Amino acid sequence: MAEPLVHITNFRMDFGDKTVVRDLSFDVHAGETFGFLGSNGSGKTTTLRALLGIYQPTGGVLHIDGKVFEPRDGARLGYLPEERGLYKKESVLDVMEYFGRLKGLSRTGAVSWSRAYLDRVGLADKAATRLDKLSGGQQQKIQLGVTIMNEPELLILDEPTQGFDPVNRRLLMDIIDEQKLAGSTVIMVTHQMDEVERLCDRVILLKDGVAAAYGTVEDVQDSFGATTIRLSCTGTLPASELYDVVSADGRSADLAPRPGADAAEILRELVSGGVDVSSFTTERTSLEEIFIRVYGDQHELAEA
Amino acid sequence: MSQHNLRTVVAFEFLRVVTKRRFWVASLAVPLAVALLFTVVLLSNQSTDQTSQAQKNAQFSFTYTDASGLVTDAVAAEFGGTKASDGPQAIADVKAGTVQAYFAFPANPATEPVHVYGVDSGVFGNGKYSAVARQILVTAAQQKIGSPELSAVAQGNVSMTEEMYKAGQLTSGLNGVIPPLLFLLIFYVSIILLGNQMLNSTLEEKENRVTEMILTTMNPTTLIVGKVVSLFLVGLVQMATFAVPVVVGYLFFRQNLNLPNLDLSHLSLDPQAMIVGFLLLVGGFILFTGTLVAIGAVVPTVKEAGAFFGPMMIMIFIPFYVVSLIVSDPHAVIVQVMTYFPYTAPVTAMLRNGLGSLSLLESCIVLVEVFGLGYVALRVAVRLFRYGSISYSSKLSVRAALRREGAV
Repeated sequence: MAEPLVHITNFRMDFGDKTVVRDLSFDVHAGETFGFLGSNGSGKTTTLRALLGIYQPTGGVLHIDGKVFEPRDGARLGYLPEERGLYKKESVLDVMEYFGRLKGLSRTGAVSWSRAYLDRVGLADKAATRLDKLSGGQQQKIQLGVTIMNEPELLILDEPTQGFDPVNRRLLMDIIDEQKLAGSTVIMVTHQMDEVERLCDRVILLKDGVAAAYGTVEDVQDSFGATTIRLSCTGTLPASELYDVVSADGRSADLAPRPGADAAEILRELVSGGVDVSSFTTERTSLEEIFIRVYGDQHELAEA
Repeated sequence: MSQHNLRTVVAFEFLRVVTKRRFWVASLAVPLAVALLFTVVLLSNQSTDQTSQAQKNAQFSFTYTDASGLVTDAVAAEFGGTKASDGPQAIADVKAGTVQAYFAFPANPATEPVHVYGVDSGVFGNGKYSAVARQILVTAAQQKIGSPELSAVAQGNVSMTEEMYKAGQLTSGLNGVIPPLLFLLIFYVSIILLGNQMLNSTLEEKENRVTEMILTTMNPTTLIVGKVVSLFLVGLVQMATFAVPVVVGYLFFRQNLNLPNLDLSHLSLDPQAMIVGFLLLVGGFILFTGTLVAIGAVVPTVKEAGAFFGPMMIMIFIPFYVVSLIVSDPHAVIVQVMTYFPYTAPVTAMLRNGLGSLSLLESCIVLVEVFGLGYVALRVAVRLFRYGSISYSSKLSVRAALRREGAV
């Protein structure tokens, strides 16, 4: 197997007495889209900053393409940070040209790319406008443009949809899709689980500074109870050792099969128990449910 | 790539300042004020000259008495006057309005006042009486001397040349002091004009949350050096903007503005003093810029940065409080302390260099110190920017930032 593009081993990050990331290891392979998931404060942004040399790691190895990242490699990187902004008192085109030049584009190349991008995202008439005169969503679009204008090999997006309305979120997802098709490796931090299921090949769930789950989306789903059984039915659901009732309203129900239980066996038991089943489907547990299961106790503790 | 990025940063930072209307409004405000002042002075001088001439040559009927014997009847008649036989009567005539004025010249005009009595002609018109009385005395004195040359000498209108020797060698005197002190002037102007911009230059990245984009795109050293270079260029533009009206005023309106004739050909350029002065300017600029940028990297907002600006400015003015000691006794303890204390060293050393009291050895020590600390300040500034600018909303722990090894 080819060397991973991003390789993190035994990463540890302390801030004073506080350990934010304990012992984190994962790889991201070239060409894949990788979802970096976790609740707020779980260490995702810290990991990305350490990977990009912004933070000095307390321990471990963080490599991009076999070596520690240096700013001179920035021309191959597209990074959309969580805390983001641009030079607000300058015009849109000046700022895009500046970053394009820093990322190795020629002046004319940077300007022509910027104009084409602005046209695409519906901001062609804002080229000469100061950034602070744009709305938050428009500024986000400019920020994304600056991030991808060098056609990066590695695209790191820290909560890219933050601040976008649904229409612009779709536009953003399309652009990320295009980057993926163009061969970019994408690492994406997001809380939008539907986006992760749609875009990501593999994911990691970070909890308390360690990986709570790591693998393909399907692997992670399988490791958290595999499936949910969705029923359309009438009648009272009988108690059983084969499943747990997740939800039921008299006309439909969600059942969580217990380990080792077979779906056909559950259906037979329901029918023999007098339940009138009109539909019976098995579905993988959604990432959102898994997320809630993994982090729900944290929120409960926090609320308590 | 680093060179390319440095050029890109310098161009971006320079152009974004000089293409702003606000910059030109601020920069042109000073020369415009100077030009306005020159115009007022010009018009005022012209008006004063005309009024003075008109008043001196004003013709009106007056009487006079002269206890000094200087004023002859011919001179008085030239100005339209006749001798009065009785002072009190002459005053009464003025009061009655039958004559316009009466002048009582005393026995000794050099020590006693000339008494002038006149019919009121308004605040400005009344000046003609004293002007004519004075002109009568000047004309009478010149006639008494009998020679225009001697009159000029008596008025102190003489020119002199000086030759001073030190250890048998001709010294350049004031003509040798002025050129190296120009570096001090440039240092002051650049720090005063740009100090605030230096302090705020990296704060912008922090306040706008651009830091992470920058840190993953280029080396922070490139950014800091690029900002320093662009600030220097902006300073040159501002200084040129200020200098143009002065030069134009001098070249084309010197006579009207009563400006002294500066004969620059007499200025003496001592190579050692000029080189040391230039190096002190560059070293001092680097030291102050590095320090101000470092402060900017530590504090979270422009407002908090402002608290540090005042003390830094005081540092460059402190040597002027002891300037008389620097001139008279450059080896005094306090002067020595200021020569070697880093933040007073550039100004003190430039002053002493201009005045010729900074030896070559002392120059070398101060230059090594200023450049060395300037380099350290820039490195610290880069490191603090590297870690301080990511602390978006809180003040950075300098100790913690400097402890991080291999960071820059």
